[in-house]
Amino acid sequence: MSIVRHLLALASLMLVSACASYSAVDPGVVRVGALQLDPTITWNAVPISNSGFTNRQTQVWTQDGLLLNRIIIIPGVDDGESIFFRRYDTSQAVPVFEADMLAHEIEELVESSIVKAFGEGQASVQTEGLRPNRFGANKGFMFDMLVAVSDGPNYRGLVGAFVDAERLYLLMYFGAEPYYFEKRREEAESLIKSARL
Amino acid sequence: MTRSRLLVALVLSLCCAAGATQSGDIEPKIPPGYTPQRGEDEQGLWLEVDDYEKRVRASALVIREPELNEYVRNAACRVAGDYCEDLRIYVIRNPGFNASMTPNGMMQVWTGLLLRVTSEDELAAVLGHELAHYTQLHTLDRLRRMRAVYTAGSLVDLGLLVLAGVTIPAGQMAATLDAMSFSREQEEEADLLGAQFMASSGYDPRAAAQVWEQIIDEEKKASAKRREPDIFSKTHPNPSDRVRALKQHVDSRYGDTSPSDAGRARHVAILNRYYMMLMEDQIDTNRFGRTAAMLERHKRIGVEPGLVAFFHGEMYLQRDQAGDIDRARKAFQQAIEHGAPPAQAYRNLAYLQFKRGETEEAMKNFGEYLRRAPEASDREMIEFYLEDNR
Repeated sequence: MSIVRHLLALASLMLVSACASYSAVDPGVVRVGALQLDPTITWNAVPISNSGFTNRQTQVWTQDGLLLNRIIIIPGVDDGESIFFRRYDTSQAVPVFEADMLAHEIEELVESSIVKAFGEGQASVQTEGLRPNRFGANKGFMFDMLVAVSDGPNYRGLVGAFVDAERLYLLMYFGAEPYYFEKRREEAESLIKSARL
Repeated sequence: MTRSRLLVALVLSLCCAAGATQSGDIEPKIPPGYTPQRGEDEQGLWLEVDDYEKRVRASALVIREPELNEYVRNAACRVAGDYCEDLRIYVIRNPGFNASMTPNGMMQVWTGLLLRVTSEDELAAVLGHELAHYTQLHTLDRLRRMRAVYTAGSLVDLGLLVLAGVTIPAGQMAATLDAMSFSREQEEEADLLGAQFMASSGYDPRAAAQVWEQIIDEEKKASAKRREPDIFSKTHPNPSDRVRALKQHVDSRYGDTSPSDAGRARHVAILNRYYMMLMEDQIDTNRFGRTAAMLERHKRIGVEPGLVAFFHGEMYLQRDQAGDIDRARKAFQQAIEHGAPPAQAYRNLAYLQFKRGETEEAMKNFGEYLRRAPEASDREMIEFYLEDNR
């Protein structure tokens, strides 16, 4: 394994705390923060050390391992906050959510945030297929994503989001191309679409 | 040895030490077609770099568009002369400012360099500088020093991590940066030899100083200063000193020179052709101060005004300072008025109008967006807005 790949893997593993183990999330109604979800299959919840996440209730689930596919569930990003990680370092120029953003602006916010998460210059991110979607009583939207990575597999992504009471709720499914994205796409899409308050 | 012979020998040795010929030209240390000697450590380093090159070749971030590759290759080959056959060039989709070479002849050119230079001459200046590091074996010297620092693992990987700005443990960072540095003398030699390559290939040797002036300008206008390891700020001479030294050298050695209009036109044509892709990557960096500096340059050199105005609008939306929403709106309107705007200018203007409650105007522009981009991937979203506000 090259050192670049090794570090990328480490970056992913940083989400995993040293002492905890994966736990099963079985089909049925599941609550993540203020969100309710209806998984149709059993997912593996990753024990994340979430002190670095903007929202500490964020959960990461996977089927085949973090580097192959994962769902990130962020149950709320407040106005003025970044969507993934806290902005300890202003030199990183991480973009932030603003409560009056429309769908396409949130799409661009996610795109830029993913670039920052992979490391500037380490990935090129394209989004497409912005479309409306209702999440329970809330009007929201979904879009697709393609992430080309400098040294690793490409990823496809499926994102669902809505805003309620000036708070952004965000669900993202990523899978390595060509196999692992499609392998769980149906179940991931169903899960994202089931999100509601 | 007589006194006069001793003097001649001394002069010759000084001449050789400086690597210069009697005409004052710097002599490249390796000939075209150079390969390392068997059994030398250099051969092992080449193998390591060859292995890395295989990964670069397969990277999803390598630009495959023939026209863009041809443009960069033509500039590199013209400035490289007989070394052209030794070069393998990879244009990498990365909005940062960089070009680099490895001792085996691999040259990487980041797309951010294309956004920052304003002519083919300036592109050739950066490539000629990197070529000089290659022909003077500076790149090999650098790898040797890295090997001395790191006895295990891939040296190239470590170097790349630094270039890419990936965080590595602080204790190793200083050592890595130090090992990766070209010395001040090497940088100065590469500057002078780069200018020599430029002049002998018919490019304007003043272009190198112009590139650095633009980088200095961009640094001043950057809103968020990068604190990732920046190979240029760490290892290269102070840019202002560099500009001064380059100008003095070119003035004294080459006299009055000027870039060709054809070279500027070729560069602008490439920017126009690939502008949406190149600038979208820049916008994703969220570095709006740098973006603004670039856009001003692009406007000045004659990039399609509708495209430049569109990205001005995007930059204002991202910056979101007082008055920026109005500026963005005006920029999208200008993009439309300039003619040949990207269809997204209508959509983005519509969104701003919609936010402001100017629903009728917004729906008109949403409709125009769909008329101009019937296959738009966000059609369903736009139709939803149209339906919802009918």
